[in-house]
Amino acid sequence: MLEILKKIKEVYSEKELLVILAKRDISVRYKQTVLGLAWAIVRPCATMLIFLFAFKQVAKVNSFSGYPIQLVIFSGILFWNYFANSFQAICNSILVNSNLVAKVYFPRLIICISSIAVSLVDFFIGLIVYFILSISMNEPISQMVFLVPVALFLITCFSLGLGLIFVSYSIKFRDIQQITPLIVQYGFFVTPIVYTTDEFSNKGWFFYYNIINPLAAMVEFFRFTLINQYNLFDLNNLILSIISSFIVLLIGLFVFNHRESSFVDHL
Amino acid sequence: MSIIDVDSISKKYNLSSQKGPQSIKEGIIDFFKKEKKETFWAVEDITFQLEKGDKLGIIGNNGAGKSTLLKILSKITKPTSGKITVKGKVASLLEVGTGFHPELSGRENIYLNGAILGMSKKDISKQFDEIVDFAGGQITKFLDTPVKRYSSGMYVRLGFAISAHLNPDILIVDEVLAVGDADFQKKSLGKMKEVASNDKTILFVSHNLTAVSNLCNKTLHLEKGKIKEFGDTGTVLTNYLSSLQHNVLNIKFNQISDSIGNDLVRLKSAILKPNLLDGQQFLDVRNSFDIEIEFWNLLDNQRLNISLHLYASTGECIFNISTEPQTLNKGIIKAKTEIPGNFLNDGNYFISFMIVKDKSIILYNFEEVFNFEIADYREDTTWYGKFPGYVRPKFDFSIFQQTEEI
Repeated sequence: MLEILKKIKEVYSEKELLVILAKRDISVRYKQTVLGLAWAIVRPCATMLIFLFAFKQVAKVNSFSGYPIQLVIFSGILFWNYFANSFQAICNSILVNSNLVAKVYFPRLIICISSIAVSLVDFFIGLIVYFILSISMNEPISQMVFLVPVALFLITCFSLGLGLIFVSYSIKFRDIQQITPLIVQYGFFVTPIVYTTDEFSNKGWFFYYNIINPLAAMVEFFRFTLINQYNLFDLNNLILSIISSFIVLLIGLFVFNHRESSFVDHL
Repeated sequence: MSIIDVDSISKKYNLSSQKGPQSIKEGIIDFFKKEKKETFWAVEDITFQLEKGDKLGIIGNNGAGKSTLLKILSKITKPTSGKITVKGKVASLLEVGTGFHPELSGRENIYLNGAILGMSKKDISKQFDEIVDFAGGQITKFLDTPVKRYSSGMYVRLGFAISAHLNPDILIVDEVLAVGDADFQKKSLGKMKEVASNDKTILFVSHNLTAVSNLCNKTLHLEKGKIKEFGDTGTVLTNYLSSLQHNVLNIKFNQISDSIGNDLVRLKSAILKPNLLDGQQFLDVRNSFDIEIEFWNLLDNQRLNISLHLYASTGECIFNISTEPQTLNKGIIKAKTEIPGNFLNDGNYFISFMIVKDKSIILYNFEEVFNFEIADYREDTTWYGKFPGYVRPKFDFSIFQQTEEI
């Protein structure tokens, strides 16, 4: 525990490096693309259109429990993209920066944390698109919008924790690189991203579902901060997922701290 | 109080874990079987202390563990056992331009690379112009161009310029001096010397012994991961060089039947004797050396001469000299010559000679009889690059002021 605090302090003292690495990732991200930053808008919009087509035209669903289907899906995708992209970025961060890891010493945690930056930028751009979408549909924005940073913080803790656990073993066991895309792919469907928890919240196993998948309550909380009068969010479930996020983050930090010195030997 | 205290550090690598299982079956078997791992000690039981202001040169053959030691000292990897205590800020330069991103501009990369090497943003901004200036005026025009468009020379110069402006207490450097053209090498070594002259502690790995002897007061000689010798640069380098010279300088056959040759001529002895100066232990560019050859001539009344070839280690013939032909009878024949000092450049050479009849028929070719190395020697120099060419003669070459008018 003490060692982890020491590590966090070390990371804090090198925050300039953290910022400059994050800036590097952001400015390199859309270099040599014609659309540039617009890709951050195109990708979530395209995903949403696909699901809109599937639900409205094929399944003939026009709203989820009375909430506009566009907003439910777009907020879900915004949430999921941020989680998935940051999680995968963390998982790959050490390998992507192997030239740095092999040649210079600084707290390795900096590489992992800075790799979230790109997903964060995409998230904020997506959020602006959400607001525009919401206004253009004459749907008021939730009064709880000031809680968006809280939701963002929770997701970040969870994806950082999970990412650290995976990246700690991804250098020695490259199999991890094959597993993470699967987690992201299946996770999308077992988390209420293109549906809501309304459909099964009265089931007996709903409690256990929330324990197994802390992301579920987080998505509903995130929608609560964006969609007006959204009432599918349950505080008890959120507390459960807050607790599990912090446990995952602690385990992640602990495992990473234990493994980081062996990275170089397996690169 | 020592600034670096290295206490019996060792580093072990598992060779088998690098390979990995070749098939799923093998993987499963490996998993359950307690396999006996093939291990390899990259460095073993290294202990030394450095005081503030010491400049340590680390020398040794390839694979002696120099790079592993530097990696451990710069905290990139952990030793398997042992302890290191370092007091002060460490910067390690194991490569020029670490973390340069090809898509980013020169300006952005200066900040990025500086931050990675441990400089604060303020420091970099303060020294920005100096860095650009050091890298050469040409860079100024390209500061906002992505570095992927840079020539490799510009890239390396910019990388070195940034690292030259680091200001740590302890600097760890790995062979980065061997970069750029001769002009830039001179500049970077000058900078190194400037850094070395103040009270910074430097650890410097190099194959360039001239640079080590000029920059470092202490030297660590590694051999197969262990310390062979640690001490004053002068002593360690001398012992290192004499251990390096596996010179074949002497061949002798007592019995004609053991000797090499054929029915016509057989070698009795061949001796290469360096004329060393007082206190010198190995041959360097200043020394002349004598060559003496004795062979048995097995036929009477032959008109013979000896033709001697000196080759560079790359196989090119540097010169060929031959004796005047003589009519010789059965018995022992002797030939001798002296190769002058200040003539051959430093490097590895070998000598072959043949015995020729009537200036045209080769009786026997004695191949690679001598194999020897000539060490470098320079006095008062600021340039440590490899001296070019196979020969390094001292011809009279003078410069003087003719007039003061323009």
